[in-house]
Amino acid sequence: MSELSHQLQLTEEPSGPDLGLGARGHWRQRHRLLSSLTRGQGLAGVGMIGVIVLVGLLAPLLTPWHPVQQIPGSHLVPPGGDHLFGTDQLSRDIASRVFYGIRASLLVAVVAVPAGTLLGVLVGVVATWHPLSDLLTQRVFDLVLAFPALILGILLSVVAGPGMLTVIVVIVIAETPIVGRLVRSQVLRVRELSYVDTAQVMGAGGGWVLRRHVLPNVLEPIGVHVALAFSGAIFAESAMSFLGLGVRPPAPSLGGVIADSLLYLEVRPWFALAPLTVVVALSVGFYLIAQALGKASRG
Amino acid sequence: MVESTAPLLRIKDLAITFDPSGPRSDRAHAVAGLDLEIDPGEIVALVGESGSGKSLTARAVLGLLPEGARAEGSVVLGGTEVVGSDERTLNKLRGGIAAMVFQEPQTALNPVQTIGRQLVDAVRLRPGFSSATARARAIELLRAVEIPEPERRLVWYPHQLSGGQKQRVVIALALSGSPRLIIADEPTTALDVTVQAEILALLRRLRDETGTAILIITHNMGVVADLADRVVVLRDGGVVEHAEVETLFRSPTAEYTQHLLAAVPRLDVPPADLADASSAADARAPGGEEVALLDLDRVSVQYPARGRRAAFRALDGVSLRLTAGEVLGLVGESGSGKTTLGRVALGATAPSEGSVRLLGHDPRSLDRSELRALRRGIALVPQDPAASLDPRWTIQDCVAEPLVVHRAADVAGVRRRVAELLDAVHLPAAVARRRPAELSGGQRQRVALARALALSPRLVVADEPTSALDVSVQARVLELFNELRAEFGFAALFISHDLAVINEIAHRVAVLHAGQVVETGPTGTVFGDPAGDYTRRLVAAVPIPDPAIQRRSAVSSSTR
Repeated sequence: MSELSHQLQLTEEPSGPDLGLGARGHWRQRHRLLSSLTRGQGLAGVGMIGVIVLVGLLAPLLTPWHPVQQIPGSHLVPPGGDHLFGTDQLSRDIASRVFYGIRASLLVAVVAVPAGTLLGVLVGVVATWHPLSDLLTQRVFDLVLAFPALILGILLSVVAGPGMLTVIVVIVIAETPIVGRLVRSQVLRVRELSYVDTAQVMGAGGGWVLRRHVLPNVLEPIGVHVALAFSGAIFAESAMSFLGLGVRPPAPSLGGVIADSLLYLEVRPWFALAPLTVVVALSVGFYLIAQALGKASRG
Repeated sequence: MVESTAPLLRIKDLAITFDPSGPRSDRAHAVAGLDLEIDPGEIVALVGESGSGKSLTARAVLGLLPEGARAEGSVVLGGTEVVGSDERTLNKLRGGIAAMVFQEPQTALNPVQTIGRQLVDAVRLRPGFSSATARARAIELLRAVEIPEPERRLVWYPHQLSGGQKQRVVIALALSGSPRLIIADEPTTALDVTVQAEILALLRRLRDETGTAILIITHNMGVVADLADRVVVLRDGGVVEHAEVETLFRSPTAEYTQHLLAAVPRLDVPPADLADASSAADARAPGGEEVALLDLDRVSVQYPARGRRAAFRALDGVSLRLTAGEVLGLVGESGSGKTTLGRVALGATAPSEGSVRLLGHDPRSLDRSELRALRRGIALVPQDPAASLDPRWTIQDCVAEPLVVHRAADVAGVRRRVAELLDAVHLPAAVARRRPAELSGGQRQRVALARALALSPRLVVADEPTSALDVSVQARVLELFNELRAEFGFAALFISHDLAVINEIAHRVAVLHAGQVVETGPTGTVFGDPAGDYTRRLVAAVPIPDPAIQRRSAVSSSTR
């Protein structure tokens, strides 16, 4: 190995030969996770999500129709011509409803996932503070995780009524214990590492160790999880809107369009095609990203 | 047909390459152009430092290369070509012609099966054994490796055995197929030195009694001197030197071998003149009054009982004093309480009995901020430099950490100080921008040293700082340690399981056994003329890297 060779030869020569090489591998190494998104699976995921996000953002430019606008004489028109994906049972343009529905789905995910993650990190760190706080948070997590998220959603919408906020709250509640557990176990793991011990012995306080050593090392697994959580959030939002617990009609949502199409599945199968494709593509896209990140972080 | 004069193993022009797209593509040519022959009944040592390809070569003999590695050339084992053979041919060779003994007995045995079951299973892999005769054979094997009361031990689980006994069982497993060659990959590296001596004696006896040839892979020149007939020195995947053991140690021809032998710390040579402890003390304590930097008085540390686990006394009535400028070596085998004592000296573990004074203060009487201030004066050089540096940080940040934690300097001051420290440990300034993974093990340990010295501590606790390093790297780090001590004037508690390392670095030594200090005194006296029985055994067990001396002492100790 080169280590030995220059350890033996060097009579205090100022720069070892291997030191020049380090700089090249830098970007790859420092941003191992991000660089995994520039190829293969990761790139495919980013591409899918990118296209859908663009469509959502540019919705007003892509379709002349307003999502709740009823177009006289266009009852359940098949795809083609004026209506890219046809029209629904209330003579509204499906393409427009799907494109605007993307906005609702993404909005929910973009608000709920970071909020849930942040809360999870906070609670996870608090859990490691003291055995008592650990016991308390762990039992609360058990309780929340015992309910399937959907049951929780139904419960909540009974109390608070359906709506986008309800969906966000449900996702945050379901997300927090998952991230919390993840953070807790990672903090406990990192705390035992030699460099944390060394820092404590040198007189560093708990805050320093947490901020400078523990959290940066916890971020990687969380990053992987967040991508997965986006996939789950898209799915959860669609499912709740489908059940009428989420975005309230006539406001457009992917789940809502799928629900509308259900009655016509046999006679107008094209009705469900566009919203289903988008939901699946969003979920799969985020899932691919999560996979790529996970593989990269495992090395 | 195999003639009786044909070598048991003939390796010719062996090359091992890693798949360039695979995970270890950095080592495209791990082994190249390697030749080696082993005759029946011979003990050959394969010596080299990490990355020399010694383990790969050994694995190639049994066709056990890791994924992505490919062997070329020729390996003829007992008349059969191994390279390119299918699994069926290889399985006939494995165990029957050659068997492997691995480094870590802990993981080589299945923890959920009794050792009897594992031995019987191994025996029955060969044809011609009924379950009754296999059991008899298992007992016979355990007896061959000198396990007492083999009939009763058959129903024991691995965790009931000590580390040395486990390694004996692993050797018994290797013997189960009556192989003509045993390949032992660092068989004693994970063991304490007294246990190592026993295992080496066992291997030698097995060869003498059964005529089994042994290929031993090791980095330890003492082990080589103790056991080997012939030595093959590897470096960067090629043979550097190949000689009879006496010749190699007496007059090594290759420059690399000379370096390697010179780098091995020795216990039988009086330590080189260390900077005098008292003169360094004078420089540090102008008052003239000698204050102990570390003063332990009948310190005990007890870990409380947990569930069914009984309370464990890690330290038992230890009294030690360490004065300014002095290096106190702390030796002991695993479980002797070395690390606990180190943590007490760092103020990280509080004693359950007795009194501790660090730099003249009792850490228990200090409040938080006073304790922090006390910590400025004590630094730790940890065992594994790779694990003790945060992989995400640059070297600059790693070295600066103590300065920043204690707000000892402003940004420019920190930068300047880090540059000074890196210079003091002979690392180029450019290293500051790198990350730990980009440095070699020796360079990382230099970084750890620089970090420890950042606040100019008066006391440094070094916990096995060189045990993870290759011997030539270790020699340079020890040299640097001495140099830094002269320059910075710190006192040190130097913990090591390696008596020879302590011999080179410490003024005084304390021998720890089962939580008690059994002997303490000047290094030369303790190692040269040990007073206690335990110390005498410990010193005698250390293999001396000189076959002439080592064989003589091995004979005298076995006849004793």
